[in-house]
Amino acid sequence: MSGYIEAGYAMALGSLAIYALSLVTRERASRRRLPPAAPGEPVSGSPSAPDSSGESS
Amino acid sequence: MSRLDTPRDARLDGTADGELGPSAVSPKAMASGRSSPSADVAVRIVGTLALVGVAATVWLGLFVTPNAVDYADGTVRLLYIHPPLAWVMYVAYGMATLSSLLYLWPRTRHARFDRLAGASAEVGVVFTGLTLVTGSIWGRTTWGVWWTWDPLLTTTALLFVLYLGYLALRNVPGDDETVARRSAIAGLIAFLDVPIVFFSVSWWRSLHQPPTVDLASRHLYVHGSMAWTLLLGFVSFTLTYSWLVVHRYRLAVLRAREEHEGLEVALAERWAEAVK
Repeated sequence: MSGYIEAGYAMALGSLAIYALSLVTRERASRRRLPPAAPGEPVSGSPSAPDSSGESS
Repeated sequence: MSRLDTPRDARLDGTADGELGPSAVSPKAMASGRSSPSADVAVRIVGTLALVGVAATVWLGLFVTPNAVDYADGTVRLLYIHPPLAWVMYVAYGMATLSSLLYLWPRTRHARFDRLAGASAEVGVVFTGLTLVTGSIWGRTTWGVWWTWDPLLTTTALLFVLYLGYLALRNVPGDDETVARRSAIAGLIAFLDVPIVFFSVSWWRSLHQPPTVDLASRHLYVHGSMAWTLLLGFVSFTLTYSWLVVHRYRLAVLRAREEHEGLEVALAERWAEAVK
């Protein structure tokens, strides 16, 4: 095989991995910056809103 | 009273009926506004399946499937990632367009569709970039050039630029509703290039080979392990797209919440200064 093919695979999968990692990292950082909303209490700034922290993986 | 206190603004903000986080994939959770453990599990399963599927595609594509006699140096092995990347590109822009339409339609107007359109378009741009890169490598090994102004390549590059412009437009300041509406309209305009890209191989004389999977005649131009590996590639990259969009959507919701909570703090501080 030519090195081009492996380079193509590495570039495509590496880019996707970096993008996925950046999303997860930014999501976690954003969660850390936000104060946790108490269960059953509305979120600050939206009186009618239920817990919208969306804590997850 | 903050601007989020009105039902209309709360609806645009997307927080009033709790469409945040993992509820993006669970209508029940979306309605309740609670983090749904089952949605979390579903997202994890999708992520795991995507990872395993992509790894299997790479292993089968690089080491198991046979080489094609009419392709030099194993170039055909790009088949297992290049068409799936292009397929996801179409899916992503299709989803972004559908979401934009749902946002523009008064009965279904909601911030969740604006965010979904933005999330899907961003993931689509990543996949378009990778489609262009892997296509360029394929071109170098088969045509001898990294780039040629072939109709398919040119319209795909145009698509990439159009959606980059769309993403840039989403960051132009304005109130939530204005930004969402103009983004939705821009998204619809950008999508006009998608069918041109798809049919360019048929409409014009192109260097690019016809589609490996001919949807019109339901014919597959590869067989055996090559066909199964290609199919696995399509499924794996579609799962990868789903996982990425869910996470990008969650990030958009969290960012919106950060912005609005920051606004609340600023208003409270201003109010405290005023009553002193």
